[in-house]
Amino acid sequence: MSAVCVLTPVVIASWPAMSAAVVGVAGPLGFSVVPIATVRQRRQSGERVVTEIEGSEVLEEAMGEQEKIVIRRDDAEIEFSRDERGALRLCVTGKGSKAELDRLGREVAGRVVQQFAYHRLMTELKARDFGVVEEHVGADQSINVRVRLNR
Amino acid sequence: MEQPEFEITIAPDGKVRVHVTGVSGERCLEYADMIREIVGREESRDLTREYYAPDGSVRIGVQQQIHVREPPGV
Repeated sequence: MSAVCVLTPVVIASWPAMSAAVVGVAGPLGFSVVPIATVRQRRQSGERVVTEIEGSEVLEEAMGEQEKIVIRRDDAEIEFSRDERGALRLCVTGKGSKAELDRLGREVAGRVVQQFAYHRLMTELKARDFGVVEEHVGADQSINVRVRLNR
Repeated sequence: MEQPEFEITIAPDGKVRVHVTGVSGERCLEYADMIREIVGREESRDLTREYYAPDGSVRIGVQQQIHVREPPGV
């Protein structure tokens, strides 16, 4: 018991890495990934709320024009894209009120950051010769991992 | 021999909490710095008792009690 640190992840990654994090959270939240062709044909009706992951940056390389990824479930659709400043933007449309859609957008954004942080930590710690001792998801959906330096 | 261990909790909103154990002194700070470089912005850092233990040394406490008795007949 030496030190306890609390950190906020800085989400800076390429578009493929961001997309992978989005796909990773879609399923557990009841969303499915929508093929772009289907998105163009049919748009979710209802209210629309735009939010972004604060401090995020989608690196421009390996990103095509108007790159986006859309996830959908019965009550809402969320479109992820890179905004003018390079941040990861979420556009939430659906049947609920603006407040409900805003809450949903923040929840999904938080889970994307969680996925990103988890994969970054696991990748970097393994590269530094740490091994996973124990791992589980809590009832509150927090990810709990114990790692130890391999000797 | 020290063996560093991290207990990591990543909340649903993305906030990361890391408990560094198994190391003391300056080594603990080095590992906390490493975590910050990997994750991003550090909001807080609390050092616990083990941090202040000298690296690799053993503490010995000595207690001495002196009893003074009056000689008989005084």
